Amino acid sequence: MNTENILLDLIQYLFFIFSATAIVSYIILAIISVIETKAYMKKNSLVNYSEILASSNSPSISIIAPAYNESLNIIENVRSLLSNHYVNYDVIIVNDGSKDDSLEKLIKAYDLVKVDYLINPAIKTKPLRAGVFKSTNPAFGKLIIVDKENGGKADALNMGLNISPNKYVACIDVDCLLIEDALQKLIKPFLEATDYKVIAAGGVIRIANSCIIKDGKLLDVNLPKNLLVKGQILEYLRAFLLGRMAWSRLNGLLVISGAFGLFDKKIAMKVGGYDTKTVGEDMEIIVRMRKFMEEKNEKYKVAYIPDPLCWTEAPDNYKTFLSQRNRWTRGTIETLKKHRKIGLNPKYRSLGIISFPYWFIFERLAPIIEVIGIIYFMFLLVIKAIRWDYAIIFLVVAYLFTVTFSIVTIITEELTYHQYKKKGMGFELVKIAFLEPFICHPFILYAAIKGNFDYYFNKNIKWGVMTKKGMSN
Amino acid sequence: MIPAKKIVLAEDNSILSLLLKFKLEKEGYKILVAENGKRAIELIEENNPELILTDVMMPFVSGLEVISHVRNKLNLLIPIIVFSSAGQEEMVLTAFNLGATDFMSKPFSPNELIIRIKRLLN
Amino acid sequence: MEDFYHIIVNLFFNAPVFIKITVLLIIGFILAITVLIIYLKHIRRRLRNKERIQATYRKKYESELISYLYSGDGDGKINSEQQGIINYLKKCSHNPLKRKILVSTLLKLRNEISGEVADAIQNLYYQIGLENHAAKKLKNKKWNKIAKGILELTQFEIKEVHDEIILHINHPRGEVRKEVQMYLVKIFYFDGLEFLNVIEHYLSEWDQIQLIETLQKFENQQIPDINPWLKSTNDSVVLFAIKLAKIYNQSESKDILLGLLDHDNILVRVNTIDVLNNLYVTEAVPILKENFSKLSIEEQIAFFSMLENIHHNNDIKFIFENINNKNFEIKVSANNIMKALNIEKLNAVMIEAFESETSESSDFITIAS
Repeated sequence: MNTENILLDLIQYLFFIFSATAIVSYIILAIISVIETKAYMKKNSLVNYSEILASSNSPSISIIAPAYNESLNIIENVRSLLSNHYVNYDVIIVNDGSKDDSLEKLIKAYDLVKVDYLINPAIKTKPLRAGVFKSTNPAFGKLIIVDKENGGKADALNMGLNISPNKYVACIDVDCLLIEDALQKLIKPFLEATDYKVIAAGGVIRIANSCIIKDGKLLDVNLPKNLLVKGQILEYLRAFLLGRMAWSRLNGLLVISGAFGLFDKKIAMKVGGYDTKTVGEDMEIIVRMRKFMEEKNEKYKVAYIPDPLCWTEAPDNYKTFLSQRNRWTRGTIETLKKHRKIGLNPKYRSLGIISFPYWFIFERLAPIIEVIGIIYFMFLLVIKAIRWDYAIIFLVVAYLFTVTFSIVTIITEELTYHQYKKKGMGFELVKIAFLEPFICHPFILYAAIKGNFDYYFNKNIKWGVMTKKGMSN
Repeated sequence: MIPAKKIVLAEDNSILSLLLKFKLEKEGYKILVAENGKRAIELIEENNPELILTDVMMPFVSGLEVISHVRNKLNLLIPIIVFSSAGQEEMVLTAFNLGATDFMSKPFSPNELIIRIKRLLN
Repeated sequence: MEDFYHIIVNLFFNAPVFIKITVLLIIGFILAITVLIIYLKHIRRRLRNKERIQATYRKKYESELISYLYSGDGDGKINSEQQGIINYLKKCSHNPLKRKILVSTLLKLRNEISGEVADAIQNLYYQIGLENHAAKKLKNKKWNKIAKGILELTQFEIKEVHDEIILHINHPRGEVRKEVQMYLVKIFYFDGLEFLNVIEHYLSEWDQIQLIETLQKFENQQIPDINPWLKSTNDSVVLFAIKLAKIYNQSESKDILLGLLDHDNILVRVNTIDVLNNLYVTEAVPILKENFSKLSIEEQIAFFSMLENIHHNNDIKFIFENINNKNFEIKVSANNIMKALNIEKLNAVMIEAFESETSESSDFITIAS
């Protein structure tokens, strides 16, 4: 028994333990998610959202949508945001130093004039450029346009926080299509809470490619032909249906999707608004808000509802996809690093003991561990110490587990929201379940590694490229 | 024999439209039913009705767009009555601005509707 | 063939434990995947069929309903054709799925129209005996069945079951309590609010908003005395009463409201300032001004909103002192007030106010013009 063999065995056992823990955790989270989702649906089958909250007694919400060079679709997007069924809300579009003609288009389409507006200086942001605009047409009374110097998404959101006169703010991607009763559904957790405070809430983001959504009504759900997008659909289903609900139940949710989330404005401002130095600002502010509440020692919750609220366009080409995943990786690293004091700190209870370590190991480190595994495999190949039967069997088991899990996801979707109704869609989704480990996962892995590399060695990269296609295709 | 006056009804609530169709046909009108605005416009263009009844909220093409199309594109002056639900006062105002003739808020009495239709068509 | 089989089996049994386990896992997964795919196909087919069946029943019940409504003889009595329809629907109502579609069809029409037709639908509901099924749900052990039952009874405005429903007023599940509250208010209007005297649980904002929405829909806005509720030990009842005071302009409750400025709960205090502002209760201003430094920041902000609405000349010095307050909202309020005051008058008033600092008067000081 020489040390070399012991070492090799030890490393193999470590990989094995990591994989087994990951698998067990996915299964536990999935089970909790399904139970919670079923409970939620039971509870909300009684609620008639259209009856309530067409009420003028409901709290006021500001929708804040940062926009950068969105000239192609901005008019349509704003029109869509203005047509929501909620009564007391305004729409704040923050034109973040766009170099195109977004502002001119908006002024023309919505009869805007410049107004004097006293802005709360609580959060430091880049200054105004052309100023604040409102419409002379009462039909667009809800609209506020802010044109400011470029500062990035976080900076634009902070400007929105400073400007909003309301208690709640919904931070949204300007091209995200909101379902007509999205605001009602998302404010409900805030209003239902009696002995604890809800500080933020998020819902499910679905992929809109090839779907027809008009004026907040989902008219037609289709599966796009693009394999990459189909893979992302499956991935989103897995994450939202079998993951987030469980974390919410454990009060361990570390992120509300940047595409659409509702926040208690006072707390968001108390913690200083969004961090402009990170690309993962959606995760970072949640962690900071949670930290704040833990330190205050008050009962609180980050709520999550499993209803699909918002439909957004997913990247359909690898270039944009890799750029997006690269950014997500760097965001995770930045946030975890910034708040590393929380990790394993009993002062922060479940946030520090469960959420943070889990996220650190299974989200942040996982791609690195996987790549080390591959390198190790290559190494064994070279020194001819490889046990082919072990290796192949392990890979096959991992693959089959992924496929099984994906199919369970599809079944859960059928039993809950059943949105992919058309004939043949079930088969398409199952096909993707088999293909996804080949067409998506390797690229996600690559993007994650590059993200790590860029984080440590390439400080200049920021948000990356996203070419917009019209949503009305 | 005067040909029956034609009315186009745009309403996505299937049973309400059945009820209204029944009631109005009993009064001697010919009713053409559309479940959404798009179909309503088609029926209007094909049949040249004497009156239009439309719900304000409908999928695809809303009642407001129907009114706008009839008044601005087709340049018809025929009376248009809109139905609205609670909380849609703003939409009703917009409907009138676009050229609607009358409105009834739900829940409404079908008998009342018939009285108004008779008044508008005579 | 047999040899091949033997080779495989030998390989398996001679392999180390790890391989044995993983091979079994692989076989397990493949079986699971096959079963799951079959199950998925089954579910999709079942859901598609269910939708098709529901659509069929819906169409059938819609046409039956219309036939029922229009085969009447006009004399209010039920003729044989209608009785036939009633019997048919009664038979259908024994099946839970059909019953559900039937009820939703009736509601779908009833929600859109009023008048004789609505009454006829209500009558049909009774004739088919549907309210018995709903009332039965009230005795069910499961909370969601109880809540669904109450909801249906609310939608069809069945008064007779009041006593059975009120038993659930303090049910442990909030969803049930909410349905009870909505029932009481929808059917008994303001009298239904009597439950505020007995509820033990906290009334959430969500519930409060819906109750108010429902109350505001009634034509007869005769509100009962809210004073007992303002003195309730249940803070949520107090908050709700404050909302009612605001919406229904209950100036008679002015004194109790002023008392609430000292309530333990900060939310109550802040909302009280807001409603006193709405009701234009000038007595509140000196009280709050006196205690200003001891107030929490939210109360201070609410007080300045009040000052924008109600202020006298002797408040102006105080407002002026706050035009550079650290807090943004207070600063804006203070500046708004100063801006609204005419500059000339302002100067004159300031002089008077400073000069009469020591004087007793807390009311109007004549402005030297």
